[in-house]
Amino acid sequence: MASNQLMYKDLTPAKPLDKKTINHLVWKSTMLQASFNYERMQAAGWLWSILPGLEKIHTNKEDLSASMSHNLEFFNTHTYTVTFVMGIVLSLEQQKAEIGTIRAVRVAAMGPLGGIGDALIWFTLYPIAAGICANMAINGNPFGSLLYFIVVFGAQMALRYWLFNMSYSLGTSAISVLTKRAKEFTHTASMLGVFVVGAITCNYGATALGIMIPNGTTLVDGEEVANYIDVQGLINGILPAMVPLMLTLMCYYLVKKRNWTPTRCIFLLLVLGIVGCAIGIWASSDPYTPLISVPWKPQ
Amino acid sequence: MDFIQIILLAVVTFIFAIDQYSLTEVIYRPIIACPIVGLILGNPTVGLVVGGTYELMMVGSMPVGGAQPPNSVIGGVVAMIFAIKSDFSVEEALGSSVIFALFGQYAVTLTFSFISILMGKADQYAAKADTKGITRINFISMAFLGTLFALMAILAYVGGVSVSPMLKEFSDTYSWIMAGLGVAGGMMRYVGFAVLLKIMLANDMWGIYFAGFVLAALLGNVPATAGATLLSVALVGVAIAIYDFTVSCKISDMNQGGGMSDGI
Repeated sequence: MASNQLMYKDLTPAKPLDKKTINHLVWKSTMLQASFNYERMQAAGWLWSILPGLEKIHTNKEDLSASMSHNLEFFNTHTYTVTFVMGIVLSLEQQKAEIGTIRAVRVAAMGPLGGIGDALIWFTLYPIAAGICANMAINGNPFGSLLYFIVVFGAQMALRYWLFNMSYSLGTSAISVLTKRAKEFTHTASMLGVFVVGAITCNYGATALGIMIPNGTTLVDGEEVANYIDVQGLINGILPAMVPLMLTLMCYYLVKKRNWTPTRCIFLLLVLGIVGCAIGIWASSDPYTPLISVPWKPQ
Repeated sequence: MDFIQIILLAVVTFIFAIDQYSLTEVIYRPIIACPIVGLILGNPTVGLVVGGTYELMMVGSMPVGGAQPPNSVIGGVVAMIFAIKSDFSVEEALGSSVIFALFGQYAVTLTFSFISILMGKADQYAAKADTKGITRINFISMAFLGTLFALMAILAYVGGVSVSPMLKEFSDTYSWIMAGLGVAGGMMRYVGFAVLLKIMLANDMWGIYFAGFVLAALLGNVPATAGATLLSVALVGVAIAIYDFTVSCKISDMNQGGGMSDGI
């Protein structure tokens, strides 16, 4: 995964991507989540989407493998706005920027656009389109379905196309500053990246304890109501999302200091998750009954 | 006739399953998927009614922030099968499909866990610059998800409502395994974070990491700002970044005896 290579071997900027390749990349961006998974989320789909560009840029096999390796790290953003990240990353790849710089820009750009994407698409476009078209469909008018497809698909493809071109030229025009100030910029961008990773540790981290310790009963309006000590509530009083933070730091320790492979960490977490649910420690969005009945998991 | 219907149903469900995450990300929506299933089963009008109703139901439950509604692809396909083959009313059909939709979610959990394990293989392909290998990983992933969904559609078609009690019993008995898989799935992203930190985190950046964490915890727990958490965090981050960049440029200019540049 983490390639040790810091710079590309061939530092001659590649030819700018031609129109045809850009169109190909915009269409390919729809495959971002083809291999979505829990560990790296969109990483492999992201790599697959930008491969046509990378193959054009890195004609030398060593550089292509270095580029593919660092583009296979954790990645998650909104699917419709991903082309913004694609454009800027590919413009940096094309100019053969330092790998650390490219990584830092990629990580810093993936977080915030997710938020804009959600607001724009899920909370605006879908409800409006659904409101107009669903009633047509319910009244038996097939044009409702067709209109829905045209509006939603048309809007997202236009957005993808515009964002790609906008950010590709943005990256190209920023490059002269970046190369002159590569060292400073990489430090700054890594800092921004670490800041964003800190934020997504909290924002994407949803692991919580489901332990409810029975604590006697009280009389409310003549009825006995059971009391519980909510352990997660106590933890939230100390630091919300402490469990995700601790687990991230644990993985960091294992990967960095103990040289564990990511796959080994995945298996550890798999065991933690399933054994934890067997004895009713974790909270889950799907209600579940632990394998063995425990006092802290009331029915 | 039935045989052709089963084949077509399996094929479109396979496509819808993939479409809910890639491809168009539109045709899996009930308002489009249900009429298509209706066409296959011989009654597109029912498809429009079920699809329109389901679509309106879904507008309230979007997959935002990681929370997933019971799977709408399986929900829609199975509701259509019940509405047309078992002559259920729209409400009955949607109601009876809920347990299947839960299994749709199980299938998604299973797929996302399975693909996590493939990532080690993907790393090996990347190290060898094997672009075909990366393509293969993506195709295997899509085929895995699509096949699980197609099998469930066939099960609903062949078994009808009578399968429901069996599914219900299974999910009651083994709910802890599926919940455990879901919880473990929710944890696996921490490995992804850890690997990023391993590479990017210089020793002087621990404070920045925790600052980002705390800022997201603050903004994310206030209803008014929760929706814009990451955007707000990024804006604060950019402010710090510009300052850092300007200052470090000035310092390096002074060290070189220059001092003419204004940074950005």
